Amino acid sequence: MPLQTSLIISLVLFSILLIGVLVARPGITGTRGGKIVAFLALFALPLLSGGMGVSTELEHAKTTEFCLSCHIMEPYGKSLHVDDPQHLAAAHFQNHRVPADEACYTCHTDYAMFGGIKAKIGGLRHIYVYYLGKPPAPENIKLYEPYNNRECLHCHSGARSFEEGAVHTADPDLIPALKANKTSCISSGCHDVVHNVGSLKDAKFWKGGN
Amino acid sequence: MLSTVPLERKLQLSGITLILGLVVEALCLLFGHGPIAFLFFVSLGGFLFAIGILLYLYSLLSTKPESSKQ
Repeated sequence: MPLQTSLIISLVLFSILLIGVLVARPGITGTRGGKIVAFLALFALPLLSGGMGVSTELEHAKTTEFCLSCHIMEPYGKSLHVDDPQHLAAAHFQNHRVPADEACYTCHTDYAMFGGIKAKIGGLRHIYVYYLGKPPAPENIKLYEPYNNRECLHCHSGARSFEEGAVHTADPDLIPALKANKTSCISSGCHDVVHNVGSLKDAKFWKGGN
Repeated sequence: MLSTVPLERKLQLSGITLILGLVVEALCLLFGHGPIAFLFFVSLGGFLFAIGILLYLYSLLSTKPESSKQ
């Protein structure tokens, strides 16, 4: 169990104990000390442990394990293990260009103000569609809007491989167009093999990195 | 057994609700690793926490102040 979870569980147990005493003997709130205990047990500690719990759950919601826990996402998880450097997602995952334990979130969050919140609201919609709606087949899942270069440039901007790459510098207008999101990194024909879950049947898979 | 004193009864109800919320939180953190646990914690746990804390605050506000002794 992670240390943070252990701490929260300890706090929860302590809070339950303290509240239990108050519920069993509510008369102690008549004293000054009892009022302080009541404030701690019925207000401060629940707020603290609830806040810490929400924070832990939100952090956990960023993990690759969390995203792939929905059956519909399995092919996307599988696509991270394709043994082909042309597969963008697989190349990023296997070469640790993104943290392996937060692979989905790193590329699919929105690196603008409140982007994390927007991504989580989108995630709530996914849960609704998955359990109560009609989820599409994995190969038919589409992004809400075209992938923004901003998410790529969050890491690649300023990197030598990006700024001085032969293909990127061949046309002096290309890098400004990429930075302005006028030319897409993904759909302009350069890095267009991303997950391609429809063609995984014929793919060869990398066995390492488990 | 709930107290017959209104303030104490409100505090007891607040405490019981908060204990339930804390139990939901602990269960979700210990055994839930997917979106359902997350939703369960945020919706049911959050609801119980909110009710418990509001009940506690209400119990404070609804207490009649003791008349000051001259």
